[in-house]
Amino acid sequence: MIAPNSSPSALTFADVGKRYGRNKALDGLMLDVPRGSIFGLVGPNGAGKTTTFAIACGFLHADRGVVNLLGEGRFNAKKHRGRVTALPQDAALGRDLMLVDVLRYFGQLQGIPHAQIGSEVDRILQLVDLTDRARHRTRTLSHGMLRRLGIGQAFLGNPELVLLDEPTNGLDPRQARDIRNFIASQRGTRTIVVSSHNLNEIESICDHVALIDHGRLVAGGTISQVTNRNEEVCITLAAGPWPIAQVQAALPGDTIEEDLANRTLRIRFVVQPDRQAEDVTGIALRALLDAGARISAVARGQSLERAFLDLPVGTPAQPKT
Amino acid sequence: MFGPTPFRDIFLVAGFELREMTRSKRAFLFAALYMIVAALGSYGFVQFLTATQPMREPPQRRDGRPFDFNNTPSPSRPELPAATVTDPNRPTQGKLFQRGSPFRGILSGSVDEQEAVDFMAALPPITLFHMLISLMILPMVIMITSSESISQEHQSRGVRFVALRTGRAEFVLGKVLGQGVTIALMTLLAGAVCMAIAAWKLQDFEFFPTLSALLLFWPRLTAYCVAFLGLAGLCSMNTNSTVGSRTFSLIGLVSLWFISHLVNVYITFLDVGGGWARLLNAIDFFSPFSHQNDLWYPETGRYGGAMASLIFLGVFYLAIGLINYRERDL
Repeated sequence: MIAPNSSPSALTFADVGKRYGRNKALDGLMLDVPRGSIFGLVGPNGAGKTTTFAIACGFLHADRGVVNLLGEGRFNAKKHRGRVTALPQDAALGRDLMLVDVLRYFGQLQGIPHAQIGSEVDRILQLVDLTDRARHRTRTLSHGMLRRLGIGQAFLGNPELVLLDEPTNGLDPRQARDIRNFIASQRGTRTIVVSSHNLNEIESICDHVALIDHGRLVAGGTISQVTNRNEEVCITLAAGPWPIAQVQAALPGDTIEEDLANRTLRIRFVVQPDRQAEDVTGIALRALLDAGARISAVARGQSLERAFLDLPVGTPAQPKT
Repeated sequence: MFGPTPFRDIFLVAGFELREMTRSKRAFLFAALYMIVAALGSYGFVQFLTATQPMREPPQRRDGRPFDFNNTPSPSRPELPAATVTDPNRPTQGKLFQRGSPFRGILSGSVDEQEAVDFMAALPPITLFHMLISLMILPMVIMITSSESISQEHQSRGVRFVALRTGRAEFVLGKVLGQGVTIALMTLLAGAVCMAIAAWKLQDFEFFPTLSALLLFWPRLTAYCVAFLGLAGLCSMNTNSTVGSRTFSLIGLVSLWFISHLVNVYITFLDVGGGWARLLNAIDFFSPFSHQNDLWYPETGRYGGAMASLIFLGVFYLAIGLINYRERDL
């Protein structure tokens, strides 16, 4: 659970750098993960996501900069055991032990009381749908099952900060959905940082997001901010009239972009107390319908994927928050 | 709540290591390797006795007096009970190392002083054989098997699951403790194998003297292993692959053996003294091989000192490794 008198940030990176030989994996990364958020970390291959996770967990040591977990400095097993957990990428669990043995071992190490360990292991196995495999050896599990076991161990006990590196990688669609639903259900109870290439997934479960590239922060903020959900309306028209002049007349002062190829109008506006996205959407639709236009789709903002594809990757930026 | 403590973590990691070794059959492989060497070695030794003993020794009583074949024991002569008479066609385990025997020459080559040779010669031969073969092969066995223990976790990155839950020092010490317990049990088991073969093949095998001698030397053997476990741990914790850790361990082992022998040769044959000798002795101290001879002495101070030095070396190697390991990337 989130501690009441705690730092507002669960994880911060301030000017963190890390090199592997000549390659800069992180180059002055700035990151601020608010407590209680579900935070998405996205970026192209080699952007530094896994290195960021590894430094946060103390597996790797930063060459420079300051890392702060739960307001208590860099990772320290004595201080953070059981409070910070992770699903590391490409880390293999012991192959020859039973699932219950592995989970029991991890639970004991992180200090779960002996009397509770059995029920806690059962809870986790149920959570990741592996109860029927409890007494199987880990080497008999499929890739997807191992992934689920990896996710399960990250939720042993009651961690305050959970870092999941590509959690749904290798899962079938149903399992991936179940894991996404579970992660989303944890909102407000603990901080979860998720890295993924699947931007739709990040958009559906996260409330904050950061894009990193070449080890630097390129963009970040709440999902609403990054996708301009509160400052942009996108209307797609079917074949027929294209009454752009009427919309411009109805929304003077707002920016209206036309995409004739996709028959899309993108309206950017400044939010005011008496002028929210809903108000702008209503005015634009009224003008379009009055002019005989046929509406195909209406969306607030743009998809996360579109937002990131539009970003000038390689240009560092500060988070909007 | 019983909160985590360093010792608790060390024992948890050690227990998990033992369970994992058992489940993965690594322990069986390790045991089999050692057992096969011990069994074949002791069998060969007993066969050697079979081949040489009747030629070198006249049949004798257990009290050590020569047996007079013309004075055959009988129920009417209770001072010579039939049970004490050995069969001249089967080997005995005693009197192998009589003064002047070529075997004593072998022992003299192993240790420096007459006192140790006498002590060794008084041991049941199969115990002596077990100790000699263990001292010879255990360093190599430890380097081959235990050096993978931690590096394997690096290679698979499985260490990351544990590093989130306990300190790196606790992890390393737990791993080494698990390996140490395995080795200690294996040495006992190998001793039992040697004893079984001796009991099977030697006519006048004495169970309790052999067992007590074996148990007397077991702590010394274990202390000897601690030093090499420390060396294996040092190499294992600072490499990312099993091949790398095994290679470094074997190079380290050969280097220490070489240093120890080089120093001894230098001091003995070139007869250096003074500051040079002190410096060379100081260097020699850091090789476990230089303490091996002292394990053969009967005085508690001498073998106890050697045991303490060997345990210190094990801890020293681990401490050196941990200096880097605490800050290295996993």
